[in-house]
Amino acid sequence: MSKKILLLSSVIFLSSCATTNISELGDKFLDLINPSEDATEVAMLSGEETLIAMDEAGGFTIDELEELSNDELIAIAREKGLEDLILLDEDGNLLNRDQIINAIVESAALLESKSEELESMSDDELIEVAVAKGLTEQIVLDADGNLANREELVEALLESAAATEAAISEFGNNADSFTLYFAYDDTEIDEVATRTIIQHANFMQENPSVNLRLEGHADERGTREYNLALGENRALSVKEVLGLYNLDDRIIVVSYGEESPILTGSNEEAWEKNRRVEFSYY
Amino acid sequence: MKIIKFIITLSVFISLSANALLEVNIIKSREAAFPIVIAPFEIVGNSNNVDISKIIRDNLNRSGQFNALSTEALITNQIDFSFWQEHKKDAVVFGKIEQVSSKVYNVYIYIYDVFSEKSLYQKKIRVHNSGFRRIAHFLSDKIYYVLLGQKGSFDTRLSYVTVSENSNGGRTYKLQISDSDGFNPQTVVRSSNPILSPAWSKDQKKLAYVSFKNNRSEVFVMTPFLKTIPIKLPKFDGIASSPTWHPDGESIALTLSKNGNKDIYLYDFKSKPIPLTTNIAIDTEASFSPDGSKIAFTSNRTGQVQVYIKDLKSGKISRATFEGRYNAKPVFSPDGKDLALIHRVGKDYRLALLDIASRDLTVMTQNKSDESPYFSPNGGMIIYSTNRDNKGILSIISLHNNQVVELMQKEGEVREPSWSNYSN
Repeated sequence: MSKKILLLSSVIFLSSCATTNISELGDKFLDLINPSEDATEVAMLSGEETLIAMDEAGGFTIDELEELSNDELIAIAREKGLEDLILLDEDGNLLNRDQIINAIVESAALLESKSEELESMSDDELIEVAVAKGLTEQIVLDADGNLANREELVEALLESAAATEAAISEFGNNADSFTLYFAYDDTEIDEVATRTIIQHANFMQENPSVNLRLEGHADERGTREYNLALGENRALSVKEVLGLYNLDDRIIVVSYGEESPILTGSNEEAWEKNRRVEFSYY
Repeated sequence: MKIIKFIITLSVFISLSANALLEVNIIKSREAAFPIVIAPFEIVGNSNNVDISKIIRDNLNRSGQFNALSTEALITNQIDFSFWQEHKKDAVVFGKIEQVSSKVYNVYIYIYDVFSEKSLYQKKIRVHNSGFRRIAHFLSDKIYYVLLGQKGSFDTRLSYVTVSENSNGGRTYKLQISDSDGFNPQTVVRSSNPILSPAWSKDQKKLAYVSFKNNRSEVFVMTPFLKTIPIKLPKFDGIASSPTWHPDGESIALTLSKNGNKDIYLYDFKSKPIPLTTNIAIDTEASFSPDGSKIAFTSNRTGQVQVYIKDLKSGKISRATFEGRYNAKPVFSPDGKDLALIHRVGKDYRLALLDIASRDLTVMTQNKSDESPYFSPNGGMIIYSTNRDNKGILSIISLHNNQVVELMQKEGEVREPSWSNYSN
């Protein structure tokens, strides 16, 4: 209920801005001594354009969310199904205000568990996931080509996910490393790194339901966009080696450039740690 | 319920009237600056507490072109020209703010030349209470034009990204826009994932930017003054990044990774993106020349990171930088003759200015890590990001006398600046 009122009032505010046309303002408020000035100048002189913060905030402007009281934020978070994220102290005060604002901004619906995620999928999406996970044989279609065993398939996917998770965590204890490091402005893979990559390749071959996300990073030196490209090239050169094992289809490559350093600080020690590719299985 | 409604309305006004997020710090002398006097404006009726005279002085001083001083006493009609001649001031500006009704004012401005003792400009403007800062910026541009014969860059906007630690150990990234003096900041995108490379369309209506909100780099376009959902631009299998607008405002160049190969593409929001580069090396950080006939970009095609220019009509690509082993992130000056770029000197990455025709490269700073240069729309200043005491700040350097102005946040970093064109 409170949410509806909030939304309504912001809509009223927004629509009143929308009707404030620049040329109207010009006519209303401007009175130029020197009529030889051109018309664009009249428009330039009209009142401050009203900027409306927007996007990703589920109906609220970001600035509005920031100005809300904790109680109001809690009410919105509850309405958006983010109740479990709310942290209160003994007196009932909100402890994680920033996190709640970020969660409202970023997510219309956070899915807390794998099963919720699967339940929320359409039949077609489920089939797609099952195929990707190598569970094609478990898919049963009826005469019209519709999914006949949705519940069993969800069950099988959950089991497969649990098995994958167990395998990944076991590998986590045995693998040499989940991070490879690189030289400045370089994508070259040395012998040590090659051995690590082979270990990962073997793991993936033994566990066909496991997929890999390679995340490339750069140190802070140089420009951000070039570093974004450089980070991707580092991840791609790792992928190239894994490709020799026919694993291409199970690997996605992303780059964070210099945006996600392991160590902050402008020194060689930090830079060395930040020029890297991280393996992340899912 | 009434209470909640009241809070929302209030919050909107607070955010609209919020003061500068950015602290301003001028760090070099004002050599070779035009000495002028801008007196406090006379106030008739109630004041709305916006000091127009101070905003104008600060603007003109930031440009590096002026040494604008205030006066203790108001100047009304009688100007003591011989006094100002004696004190070597070249021009005198004064004005009056006259309340017409509760929210409407008349603003008068007069500019006099001290030596000829003649009026150079005078004007009366009727303005709503909410438009005072805008009027001050507009009048700053007028004074700049009247005294220098060139356009100013004051009635324009900045965009930039702020980064702060939040209470959960994570980071909060905000894409913000502000007036050219850093006042009136507004958050237009907020995320716990990185935001990069905001770029204004020439008509100031749209902003393109890179967001990692889906855990990978993607390019979005938003209209900050309208409540619409940002559009996500197409991508292939890897990164999409480095957006820059074609001067016609109808299309955008961006870096896309197709089969892992990063090239620059032109996208018109309708058909498939067209490749502008096809080299197997990294091609990124494109900038259009003002007439749209060329792009400058960063490439490591020779094994070094260097800047290249492609003529889009002939298709010819030529190397633009020859000094040093690392030159990146070029942007064209508004007259198309120069590139601002980041040049490596020893271990440092510094702002440099390249004369395209003569290939002369001038290093502009002594900093360790400059990034993201962008020209003011009149070409008189370059804004860029740098580090001060391990903290990201914005700097504006005047190309007239190398005066530097620093804009910083009390808490957190500010980076990735971009300067809008003039409003239409």
